Amino acid sequence: MKKIIIGENIVKSFGEGDEKRNVLDVVSVEINEGEFVSVMGPSGSGKSTLMFALSGMDGIDDGKVVFDGRDLSALRENELADIRRTEMGFVFQQPTLLKNLNILDNIIIPSMRDNRKNAAEITEKARALMKKVSIEELEKRDITQVSGGQLQRAGICRALMSNPKIIFGDEPTGALNSKSAQEIMNIFSEINANGTAVMLVTHDATVAARTERIMFMRDGKIVSEMRLPKFIGTDINDRMEKVTAKMREIGI
Amino acid sequence: MYYRIIRKDILKSKVITLTTMIFIAAAAMLVSLAAILVVNLSGAIDTLMTQAKTPHFMQMHSGEIDTGRLTAFAEEYGNVDEFQVLEFLNVDGAQIIFEERSLADNVQDNGLSKQGEKFDYLLDLDGNVINVSDGEIYVPICYMRDNTAKVGGKAVICGKEFTVAGFLRDSQMNSMLSSSKRFLVSENDYMEIKGLGSTEYLIEFRLKDLSALGAFETAYTSAGLETNGPTITYPLFKMINAISDGLMIAVILLVSALVVAIAFMCIRFTLLAKIEDDYREIGVMKAIGLRVTDIKKIYLAKYAAIAMVGCILGFALSFVLRGILLENIRLYMGESENSSFALLFGIIGILLVFLAIIAYVNGVLKRFRKISAAEAIRFGTSQEKSAGAKHFCLSRNRLFDTNIFLGVKDVLARKSIYVTMLAVLVISAFIIIVPQNLYTTISSKSFITYMGIGSSDMRIDIQQTDNISEKSVEILKTMKGDTTISKYAVLTTKTFKAKTEDGLEESIKIELGDHSIFPLEYSEGRAPVAEDEIALSVINANELDKKVGDVIPLVIEGKEKKLTVCGVYSDITNGGKTAKAVFNDNSADIMWSVIYAELMDKSLVGRTASEYANRFHFAKISGIDDYISQTFGPTISSIRKASFAAIAVALIITLLVTLLFMKMLVAKDRYSIAVMKAFGFTNSDITAQYVSRSVFVLIVGIVLGTLLANTLGEILAGILISSFGASSFKFAVNPLSAYLLSPLMMVCSVLIATTIGTSGVGQIKISENIKE
Ligand SMILES: Nc1ncnc2c1ncn2[C@@H]1O[C@H](COP(=O)(O)OP(=O)(O)OP(=O)(O)O)[C@@H](O)[C@H]1O
Ligand SMILES: [Mg+2]
Repeated sequence: MKKIIIGENIVKSFGEGDEKRNVLDVVSVEINEGEFVSVMGPSGSGKSTLMFALSGMDGIDDGKVVFDGRDLSALRENELADIRRTEMGFVFQQPTLLKNLNILDNIIIPSMRDNRKNAAEITEKARALMKKVSIEELEKRDITQVSGGQLQRAGICRALMSNPKIIFGDEPTGALNSKSAQEIMNIFSEINANGTAVMLVTHDATVAARTERIMFMRDGKIVSEMRLPKFIGTDINDRMEKVTAKMREIGI
Repeated sequence: MYYRIIRKDILKSKVITLTTMIFIAAAAMLVSLAAILVVNLSGAIDTLMTQAKTPHFMQMHSGEIDTGRLTAFAEEYGNVDEFQVLEFLNVDGAQIIFEERSLADNVQDNGLSKQGEKFDYLLDLDGNVINVSDGEIYVPICYMRDNTAKVGGKAVICGKEFTVAGFLRDSQMNSMLSSSKRFLVSENDYMEIKGLGSTEYLIEFRLKDLSALGAFETAYTSAGLETNGPTITYPLFKMINAISDGLMIAVILLVSALVVAIAFMCIRFTLLAKIEDDYREIGVMKAIGLRVTDIKKIYLAKYAAIAMVGCILGFALSFVLRGILLENIRLYMGESENSSFALLFGIIGILLVFLAIIAYVNGVLKRFRKISAAEAIRFGTSQEKSAGAKHFCLSRNRLFDTNIFLGVKDVLARKSIYVTMLAVLVISAFIIIVPQNLYTTISSKSFITYMGIGSSDMRIDIQQTDNISEKSVEILKTMKGDTTISKYAVLTTKTFKAKTEDGLEESIKIELGDHSIFPLEYSEGRAPVAEDEIALSVINANELDKKVGDVIPLVIEGKEKKLTVCGVYSDITNGGKTAKAVFNDNSADIMWSVIYAELMDKSLVGRTASEYANRFHFAKISGIDDYISQTFGPTISSIRKASFAAIAVALIITLLVTLLFMKMLVAKDRYSIAVMKAFGFTNSDITAQYVSRSVFVLIVGIVLGTLLANTLGEILAGILISSFGASSFKFAVNPLSAYLLSPLMMVCSVLIATTIGTSGVGQIKISENIKE
């Protein structure tokens, strides 16, 4: 299986002198192409930091991250931005939409940067994605005029516009009620079924239970890992039990 | 607690606080300077005119004088306190030679005078009445200024040698605007030279009751006394003395108004941005039951602190700079008696600035009332949206680059913030363009046609001599035979009596001749062509209360001649009170003649002028460029300097304010910047967005500023120009510098400022701003 991301012995620390602390303390991660993984762990264990490191959004102090055959630490900032724009997608807990733009514009903005000539095509694609996540009615709305779940879907549409190789989600369902969370998770499953790798950071066992592999973090280290078969939509209760059992076992 | 909040806030935004403070300090400094200057100027003029005992009424007169009749009038008229006739010996500039140079090409009417007997004293630089000894000469102070003469140097006047004993202040003729300059010599020396020049008389009165000056003027005219020359009264002397420094003060006031406006804009901008930032906190404070006034206090206190420091700084600066600006006033007019008041007025000015700022901040903070607690807590932003931005969708954008689109969109969506920056840029464009256009206008050759002088190449003045008419005929004959001269015209000025509404007679100087050859600008109507037409200068028209179409009856040899006013023009020559007509007249004496000529080959002006000058010693001959440069030269060069200074100031303002705004915006927009970076916008993309914002605002600003400059600016400049006596003013524009170079300079400074201001974009870390 080809690896989309290889993180080797990543060290990331914050603070100076006595205050200095390794938030990622020699972490190694590999994600296969089209794989569906999740990261769990207590608050402050370094999950978000790991995600920022793997996506090249933040530099690391030691180790290396290879994305699709390229060593991210060797790339310049602009090249990293290009990769994020065209080969990665991001979904965050708080919907990170720009408040000056309406929903549709928010979705198409990264694509428009590169390919303004094809605005019609881009818009069409955006509409198709919006339809898929059932927000096609909202394209003209301001971001303050829709619900949190709808914003999150818009954010997912934006992440999908460039047909990314991997989507990172940092607690994408954290701010949603359980029904919305389920719907969003269905969308992620579908994205993954189409061959896009997905890496989710979450506190929620129901979210993690839908992924194929769960990494558990504590104090900047990956302390454990568990594999699950591909989710086919029926065995959720069974998977949940396994996950909670594992969590109890390692004391998270 | 307030102190801690303020301190933290200021430390967090050092650049912004500092810039605001600089503008406040500059505004405070200028206001305080203006106040100090006004008090000192008026005080110094009063002191000068009191020490010199300036006449309340002065009639200049050349020709025969009947002193007996004048004395009788003075004794009879109850209000006359003192009366004297002073002589003024007009000496040709070429006959006044200092060590290095003569005054040959000086356009002032230079002449010798004795010290006044009873009043109208010429003063030394300490304000004392000069007691001049034989062989000594005192030189007008303006020649100290331009280094023509030095104390102890030699001066040769009409062949007689003098030692320059010092410089004098002349309460009448100090100003460059008055065309005569008096040199002071002793009684004996005066008598010795008297035959070598033409004598003009200064018939001077001081009244017991100055308020009855108007009645005295009428009485003097109707008594039929000597009137062959301009009449000047006390208030006019005062105005002439005040005008050049007064203009400087006016400019300072204008600039300080602009700087105050800019300081306000900075405050508004930073405050609005801060409110946008603190929206949620303000909402929370409201939600937990704090009163609007409580919340306001925190913000007010911060600006009060900044304003206070700025004002104190400005006051200190005005103290340092005061000396430089007062130098001119001190030199020309001496110390003011009420300089301690100046301090008081300076402080009052500063206090006004301070209070204005507090009031303004208070006004901006009114918005707090509109903040809904519920909305603020739910969304953290205001729900108000600008209508214009809504229909400006990225999905429909084919025209612009996405970064440009986002920049423009942001400007449209947050108009109230950008309006502030726009206002500053409009002001900057205005400051750049108006002085520049004013300079282009004044330095253009056709400008003199606004000033009552026809546009020609050469000007010949024949005055203060006899047989003027024969002498002009002589020159005209030469010109007729001179193939290098393409056209010429002689204009002869004579005094006539005009009947006013109330039946009194008033003297009026009329320039006769063909006025169509070297035409003037008429603010109303046109030049006279028919025998019964007359054109009046603006000042004359106002004084006589005549408009185009009105009739003026002249009395010529006892008979009444009715003239219709056909036009009104601006004039600064001869005190601005002139008239033009074409009728023939042989009755009145000629006061002076002016011959205008145009040459085939403009490059020969200098040579032709000196040829004629050698040939006709009695005439004052000048190429029109020399004439302009000497009459308006100092004005033109100071406006030129002012326009350069204005450009520099405006560019600095543009740079500083753009820098301030961009820094502020980047700080505010950290989150959106981080988000955009997260989904793959590069630093240069984001810089491009900020550049588009500022360039977009700048373009609008330049357009508005230019429009404003050509309308409001033209009116303002017109007011300034009309203080010289000219009206009907239109800008002459140098399109290259006004519409290309100046905008380009502004674009450059905005680009520089934006690049520097957004350099922080690279340091914004995604992970620090998107906390999960
Ligand atoms: N910029 C920073 N400076 C200093 N310390 C930081 C910084 N960012 C994160 N940390 C620290 O690093 C540790 C890990 O942070 P991280 O955001 O990765 O945690 P997390 O696992 O995502 O937690 P949560 O579940 O609450 O989101 C935390 O203890 C945090 O205090
Ligand atoms: Mg986190």
